[in-house]
Amino acid sequence: MPHDPVDVLIVGAGASGAAIAWSLLETRMRILCLEQGPHLHDKDFPSRREDYELARYDTFSCDPNVRKLKQDYPINSTDSCITPVNWNGVGGSTINFLGHWPRMRPSDFRTKTLDGVGDDWPVDYETLAPFYDMNDANTGVSGLAGNPAYPDYTPPLPPIPMGKLGRTLASGFNELEWHWWPSDVSILSRDYDGRQKCVNAGTCDLGCAAGAKGGTNFTYWPILENAGVELRTECRVREVLVDPETGFATGVLYHGPDGQLHEQKAELVVLACNGVGTPRLLLNSTSKLFPEGLANRSDMVGRNLMFHPLTGVAGVFDEPMLGHEGPMACSILSQEFYESDPSRGFVRGYGLHSGRSTTPMTYALGGYGIDNPIPWGAEHRKVMDNIYPYLAGLTVVTEDLPEAHNRVTLDPELTDSDGIPAPKITYRLGENTQRMLKHGEARATELLRAAGARDVLTKGDDSVWWRAGWHQMGTCRMGDDPETSVVNGWGRCHDVKNLFIVDGSIFVTAGAVNPTSTIQALALYVGDCIKTNIATLFD
Amino acid sequence: MSINWTVQQRATLDAILDVLIPANPDKHIPGAGEFGTAEFILMQTAKIASFASAIAALLDRAGELAGNITPNVVRQLESEQPEAFRALLVETYKGYYSRAEIRPLVGVGAHPVHPLGYDVAPESAEDLAALTAPVRARGPLYRRTPNRGGGQSDAP
Repeated sequence: MPHDPVDVLIVGAGASGAAIAWSLLETRMRILCLEQGPHLHDKDFPSRREDYELARYDTFSCDPNVRKLKQDYPINSTDSCITPVNWNGVGGSTINFLGHWPRMRPSDFRTKTLDGVGDDWPVDYETLAPFYDMNDANTGVSGLAGNPAYPDYTPPLPPIPMGKLGRTLASGFNELEWHWWPSDVSILSRDYDGRQKCVNAGTCDLGCAAGAKGGTNFTYWPILENAGVELRTECRVREVLVDPETGFATGVLYHGPDGQLHEQKAELVVLACNGVGTPRLLLNSTSKLFPEGLANRSDMVGRNLMFHPLTGVAGVFDEPMLGHEGPMACSILSQEFYESDPSRGFVRGYGLHSGRSTTPMTYALGGYGIDNPIPWGAEHRKVMDNIYPYLAGLTVVTEDLPEAHNRVTLDPELTDSDGIPAPKITYRLGENTQRMLKHGEARATELLRAAGARDVLTKGDDSVWWRAGWHQMGTCRMGDDPETSVVNGWGRCHDVKNLFIVDGSIFVTAGAVNPTSTIQALALYVGDCIKTNIATLFD
Repeated sequence: MSINWTVQQRATLDAILDVLIPANPDKHIPGAGEFGTAEFILMQTAKIASFASAIAALLDRAGELAGNITPNVVRQLESEQPEAFRALLVETYKGYYSRAEIRPLVGVGAHPVHPLGYDVAPESAEDLAALTAPVRARGPLYRRTPNRGGGQSDAP
């Protein structure tokens, strides 16, 4: 079933798809976005229900293999120690992300030159800085200016409350003379742009019913729809089509809500499906010109998958830490161990993130994203009465290095409900990351003691957090060399000159910070480059 | 498959639940059995056939083991039927802690978290300045990075 052609077709209405649509608004091109999930109303978010925690283990799980909603595609993670998590719908994973918003640091873009690992990016921090600022203003970012870990910038809103937990940990960092800073967050500390400030509900993963969290359902999409961008929901793209003569993308085939297969033609196609969805779509788009998958002459599509492997350490304090009050993942962030130091036995580094503690059911079931119930019986009573209310924890968030064997491929048997082959993840933890996790666990323990913890709880084994696959990067990386990268320095595929990628898959390295701020800054930058080069865009 | 509970089965299940999450009389916290968590378990057995089978098998075995359900009996059930036991444990924790009345007993609000949320006072500008003073005193912490042309960027 054909439709009228459009100028720009964006696949995915999440963080990056919304940002580039906003950037391209001023061109007055006809823009269409296809999104495989629905547009949820805030009344549908479970945090308004008394039994809100149950949703975490059902239809609002971060894990698509648990949710199994119509719009979700299964992911085979049996060959991985980390499974990807996401949300499929308008807003993408900004619906259930936790809103932590640190920028990447200048050195993150130059790891090859500085530390001899990974690769240098074809863009740098200074180039992206104005796009970070622009996106922070569009999103409504809260934070404190003057963080010495970065070149100067000023978040548009004051920081969210650190809370008792954050202040307690900050005292420990000061005691040890380690860096820390109130977290930058895409969560409103004040009413902003017609949106309500955060009410400290502490359930950011269940969708922010207040609209305070910077999901693109609340930030970009209301503007985009008012401006005439067409958003077609429950439309799952099957493949990107290519002209066999010119090698240009001509549009896509997608399954609509009517169950029928539709063809949509476009002058320019933008993929915004993140680090698993985008390579999956490219690998599913085979033709005579691209038998190994679209834009994959380099064999780099799907390779160099990076996550941010995590581990957690918790301190038990003498007073209740009230950790359930306030945004879930963000209070303060230490980057004391972010940069390389040869004496530590690994290159690059990690952050110490003070997440707040979670709600009782989730804690009893092992913690957020973990399936490991706490003990039953008398020990259960002891843990819930004497430990749970007194917890303050740190998460060690490590920089993953790009390794070609860590990758997304297509599963030979598993498919989604439309019969489209599902992604398979092959991933193992690098030795550098393992050393980093051990170092981080020891430093987090030291910090919690310095902050006054009477006891410190660690996992006691080498396993990493299973549902840590929020941050999916590197699988269609940027670069100047078409032999070793998929897109150029402004997101255009080397092999298909009217096909752009703007999501986390184009990251060259991962940094050790949550990537959404950088994903959106990059999308705005790519949009700017498209506008700047419009006359010669496909040359 | 769902279970048609006999009085004896329900009593056995309540007793097992009270062992899994015992009461704390000092804090007026009920055990999972006396709190009626079995109703949630029953609801889940109606939804998930494999769970219904697992619970039926556990209750049958518990009936064979002893008249009184003690921690040792429950430990034996865990040892003999680990998958079924784990499924029961998970659903017990879900059923018990999804009830609003329980949350305040472990320090968390009973209310749905939206729209009320929690009152958390922001730090004043003066407090933030004092807290971060030692960090700022160290000066810039990021690394000097060469730009693509080989020169130095505007960094310390």
